[in-house]
Amino acid sequence: MSDVSMSVNLGGLSMKNPVTVASGTFAAGREYSDFFDVSLLGAVTTKGVSLKGWEGNDSPRIAETASGMLNSIGLQNPGVAALREKDLAWLARKDVPVIVNVSGHSIQEYVEVIEALEEDDRVNAYEVNISCPNVDEGGMTFGTHVPSVEAVVSSCRTATKRPLIVKLSPNVTDIAEIARAAESAGADAISLINTLLGMAIDARTRKPQLARVVGGLSGPAVKPVALRMVWQVHQAVSVPVLGMGGISTGIDAAEFMLAGATAVAVGTASFSNPRAAAEVVEGLRAYCKEQGVSDVNDLIGALQC
Amino acid sequence: MERATLVDETCSVRSNEQVGPNLFLIEIEAPRIASVLLPGQFVHVKVPGMESHLLRRPFSVYRTDASSNVLSILYQVVGFGTDVLSHLLPATSLCASGPIGSHWELPDGSASPLLVGGGVGAAPLYLFAQELSNSGVGATVVIGAQTKEALVTLGAYEDLPGISVVAATDDGTFGYAGFCTEPARTFVEDGADFVACCGPEMLMRIVAEMAARAGVPCAVSMERRMACGVGACLSCVVDTADGKKRCCIDGPIFDAREVVWQ
Ligand SMILES: Cc1cc2nc3c(=O)[nH]c(=O)nc-3n(C[C@H](O)[C@H](O)[C@H](O)COP(=O)(O)OP(=O)(O)OC[C@H]3O[C@@H](n4cnc5c(N)ncnc54)[C@H](O)[C@@H]3O)c2cc1C
Ligand SMILES: Cc1cc2nc3c(=O)[nH]c(=O)nc-3n(C[C@H](O)[C@H](O)[C@H](O)COP(=O)(O)O)c2cc1C
Ligand code: FES
Repeated sequence: MSDVSMSVNLGGLSMKNPVTVASGTFAAGREYSDFFDVSLLGAVTTKGVSLKGWEGNDSPRIAETASGMLNSIGLQNPGVAALREKDLAWLARKDVPVIVNVSGHSIQEYVEVIEALEEDDRVNAYEVNISCPNVDEGGMTFGTHVPSVEAVVSSCRTATKRPLIVKLSPNVTDIAEIARAAESAGADAISLINTLLGMAIDARTRKPQLARVVGGLSGPAVKPVALRMVWQVHQAVSVPVLGMGGISTGIDAAEFMLAGATAVAVGTASFSNPRAAAEVVEGLRAYCKEQGVSDVNDLIGALQC
Repeated sequence: MERATLVDETCSVRSNEQVGPNLFLIEIEAPRIASVLLPGQFVHVKVPGMESHLLRRPFSVYRTDASSNVLSILYQVVGFGTDVLSHLLPATSLCASGPIGSHWELPDGSASPLLVGGGVGAAPLYLFAQELSNSGVGATVVIGAQTKEALVTLGAYEDLPGISVVAATDDGTFGYAGFCTEPARTFVEDGADFVACCGPEMLMRIVAEMAARAGVPCAVSMERRMACGVGACLSCVVDTADGKKRCCIDGPIFDAREVVWQ
């Protein structure tokens, strides 16, 4: 069979294949560049960035759990100026689109981060994180109520002409309702899932395993939840979906696309296998070949119920 | 110095044996890592047979043998991963990323370095002692363990020319009776011009404070829970005078004066 056509369009962002990395698990790519060429990816999604930078939470910040892990990094980042000076400068030398993950403590801060990047042609799209469970103000609190989702997304919408991806939290009762709110406020794509709020306890010491007590669960343990939510959101909105949550192989990626994702992100899997994201690209291509699929777009929402 | 390229190497276990109370020594054939690893750097090991435990386990390297391309790790069984590791048979294959992080380095002009290792922390100082032995600078090495049986690195240090070794045991079954901080104190106050320390955080803190009081530079090997092990995830931060730094690639060896102890 001839080569599989792997390119997709995620709400206006052209990707040479459907695979990006999940924000916060890959920095801006440099740390993984000894293991593979990041230009092999459909896009690089950078670590969440705020206006002036945040310190993040106390240690310990992670705990391993059954088939997953909890993190409470707390969006530690050096601010948008440092992102431009270091990370975007490095990424500009790679042949790969850049999705900047945007965070803020207030609607104003989200908008100011976007404004600081809007004239920078090394950025191709934004992923607005309204779903981080690890910060007290902003983060997930924006992503769990329809009125605040609409307020953040519409403000970001006015600040940019670029593809605007809105990243949702799974810590809600009705994900479809939140996705519809984001779409109607101007999102070009929906990404999900961010981490599920959880905790881990050391029974011996009677102490929480994370300094912040609670943290976000990721990895294969969350994959069934993520698949279900991608499927629900795909049915609820007409904008494309960027699916993630526990993807570590090409087959996992294919499952997300069948559930309705146009593109996928590899997160926690990179920690156990630094080549995971590149292997997902190859695995997805191999799956398509095996299945006689000539265009990867044919997988999107092709689940047969 | 330019850091060596990181590799994720598929390695083979050459041997894996119990060498002391709860202490194991694993030898791994890892030619690409062993040939470039510097003293104090670590490897991030994917332990096979525990796939539902996602994270790799970080281990400092005890010895390397460039001619046979083997690196060895001295480890203590403290939990699930190290227990699984202790059951790996020779010829088992495993993945290790490395060499990772900063390394021990003698400051310019230093002529009488002191190396202090507590518990398994004695192992990651060995390659440094070997380097100091080879270069002719020499060193004083103070190692401590709970009991005589746990002083498993003693013989290796004693075999190094130009290295004088002082051992301490908590229970007094060998050498100085008590914590290794006491013999270390004598050397710090009596002419050491650089201190390298590895062991429990409390030990490193005490030694760092001693060195600071004596005005002697000190480097410590920090431990944090790690996810990526390559600098990408910010799981492993250490508080420093200069803000939060990543233990995995800004460390694990830090100048003790910049560490803000927890
Ligand atoms: C840079 C570095 C070098 C190290 N070198 C050595 C060495 O040479 N010999 C040795 O015996 N041990 C060493 N350790 C500690 C070793 O990594 C842990 O003992 C090991 O990860 C425990 O795994 P486990 O599954 O048995 O424990 P579990 O408690 O079941 O592990 C659960 C999680 O906590 C993490 N964790 C547990 N204890 C520690 C710890 N002390 N430090 C960091 N993470 C921890 C594990 O990696 C894992 O993610 C080093 C740690 C670091 C950070
Ligand atoms: C250590 C870590 C840091 C993360 N940081 C961010 C972040 O800065 N912004 C964000 O939107 N999501 C962040 N996430 C969430 C991931 O991008 C992703 O949504 C989630 O981990 C689920 O995917 P996975 O199971 O493949 O990791 C982080 C996740 C982890 C594990
Ligand atoms: S373990 Fe990921 S940055 Fe250190």
